[in-house]
Amino acid sequence: MAVVLQQAINGAVLGSLYVLVALGLTIVYGVLTQINFAHADIVTLGAFSAYFFVHGFGGGYIPGIAVAFVVGAILGWAMNAAVFAPLRERGSELLPLIATIGVSVTMENAMLVWFGPIPYAFDSPYSNDVIRFGGTFITMQNALIVSVSALTIGLLYAFMKFTFLGKALRAVSQDRETAGLMGINPDQMILVAFVVASALAGMAGAMLGPVLVLTPFAGTSVIVKAFAIVIIGGFGNFEGTILAGLLVGLIESFTTQYLGPGMIDIVVFALLLVMLAIRPTGLIAEKRDENV
Amino acid sequence: MVIRLHACRVAAIAVALAALASAAFGAENNIIRIGALLPMSGPGSYFGAQDRQGIELALDAINKTSVSGYKFEIKFEDSSCSPLPATQAAKRLLEQYKPDVVIGEECSDATLAIMPLMEQAKVPLLNAGSSAIRITEPGNPWTFRIMPNEVMQGVDIATHAYKRLNARTAVLLYENTNAGIGNAKVFNDTFTKLGGKVLADIGFGRDINDFTSIATRIAGVGKIDVIPTYTLEGQGLKISQALLQAGVTRGGGGQAIQLGTIWLPFGFEQKAGRAALGYIRIVQFDPTDQRSLVRNFIDAFKAKYHQDPTHLHAHAYDQIMLIADTVERGATDAQSIRDALAATRSFSGVTGSVEFDKTNQNVKMDTVHYMETLPDLSWKALKWN
Repeated sequence: MAVVLQQAINGAVLGSLYVLVALGLTIVYGVLTQINFAHADIVTLGAFSAYFFVHGFGGGYIPGIAVAFVVGAILGWAMNAAVFAPLRERGSELLPLIATIGVSVTMENAMLVWFGPIPYAFDSPYSNDVIRFGGTFITMQNALIVSVSALTIGLLYAFMKFTFLGKALRAVSQDRETAGLMGINPDQMILVAFVVASALAGMAGAMLGPVLVLTPFAGTSVIVKAFAIVIIGGFGNFEGTILAGLLVGLIESFTTQYLGPGMIDIVVFALLLVMLAIRPTGLIAEKRDENV
Repeated sequence: MVIRLHACRVAAIAVALAALASAAFGAENNIIRIGALLPMSGPGSYFGAQDRQGIELALDAINKTSVSGYKFEIKFEDSSCSPLPATQAAKRLLEQYKPDVVIGEECSDATLAIMPLMEQAKVPLLNAGSSAIRITEPGNPWTFRIMPNEVMQGVDIATHAYKRLNARTAVLLYENTNAGIGNAKVFNDTFTKLGGKVLADIGFGRDINDFTSIATRIAGVGKIDVIPTYTLEGQGLKISQALLQAGVTRGGGGQAIQLGTIWLPFGFEQKAGRAALGYIRIVQFDPTDQRSLVRNFIDAFKAKYHQDPTHLHAHAYDQIMLIADTVERGATDAQSIRDALAATRSFSGVTGSVEFDKTNQNVKMDTVHYMETLPDLSWKALKWN
């Protein structure tokens, strides 16, 4: 029983991490109907920002998460202003998509030059503090991950549901042209989506840093799962992404326990294929008739 | 008269130019071209970064003068520790650079992929970092390996675990690659033959980041004496930390000792911290070795890079020095370097000595050094070999 409970805790932690990464992807997709392949690299840069804030400048880990959040937001703004907005003006949907791949490769290799290929040991002050109860354990770092994820999800949910900006974002994601006719500037909302998504990615990086093998390729290792989660949850669907993230985290933990870690990808991607076959709209079908 | 004078001048200039060209041609011919197929990107790129430092240190030393009138030059290609990029890099190297000898790769899957290309081009491949048995078994005339293969390492470490550590139970942890699977299998076979019991056999992909679930599973299998772990540095760090958090290994209050391989670089302990306590692993290079060859290498390395050398630096250094040794013994091109490598009997390098058997595997076990991590994260050389 303790093992089952322990794997459920492990799954919830892993799922929380995946949700943090996948939410940014789903926000950008919701507004732009476009996959941002550079998202993984913003996660990585967020992790390095927090690492250097803590180990280079002697800052605290929690402020380091805030630094990564800000770095992510600035990067999102810069990427949109310098690359994606000008390409969108040309009217092609393919160009910005390909540009995200270009930005990703450029960032990855720039980080390889700056930070080198050797893995960094990013220990937060909470990495080795272990809380044990009833035959189970959780590190303080993992408890922090779950808490910050839950808080972020709550705040993001409130932002999307109850603020004008959030409602405007949802309006643009449902119908960009009609939202424009209602006085909402779609370009501004796209900018907001990029900034919010990238800030989340940066923060996710800071949380993931002590968990991941921190190299310039760190974000790439979680992004494939994040894509799968976005598809399973339903493209652009906020609640679906949260549910799918937690589900994938739990599947990974229990697959490791009962089938072996070598089976994880088979099980997760089999679920993805099943979802595409029987419920292509995702776990939670989006309500298009909602009045926002 | 004027015309005759001009003709003489032209003739003199032509002779001088011919002499210069001849000298230049000779000088160009007196160069041994070394190709290096090393991982410069991806999760194994720390191999390439450290290998390169060792290689450049060795080249500095041998190019200060020359070896039998030959200078050495090198071209690096990124083979990414993976078969497809390694194959592409090998083709580029062979077609464009036309090396006399190639060193690399580090990862077994990549080495296995480039071996047929080297054989086809009849260029010797000198390997120092791949352990898969298939690299030298049943024998390949163009591939040489100076590091102990997975059988030599696996049999040795399993025997020491059983006899010296009195280990009777083990959990195997390994990445799902040729080298990971092969090393784990050899340990399993040897350990069970001696009377030990393998409680769990856990392979995983290189994309796994969080090892908490794996550590949880291990914590539930019963009393574990040793955990042989075959993985690259990044995942190795996370595994050690997860095992500590789950209370399995000594750093976390458990009893299990992790056993590691040549794959991990020096400095692993400092990164892993308390999680590395009691970790016993094989390294290819003993920095406490008092041979003058080793002390000189360490001094030269520190002078050039202002850091301590690791076994990756050392084995890359030895590869270049072994090539220089073949040239000193009369080798001048790919075929003669191959023949001289095969005839190597008493080469002494900083990692240990080299003598190839008929499969071109180095048979000397003095390249296997065991180290135990102490509470202050320093090393104790165990002198098991």
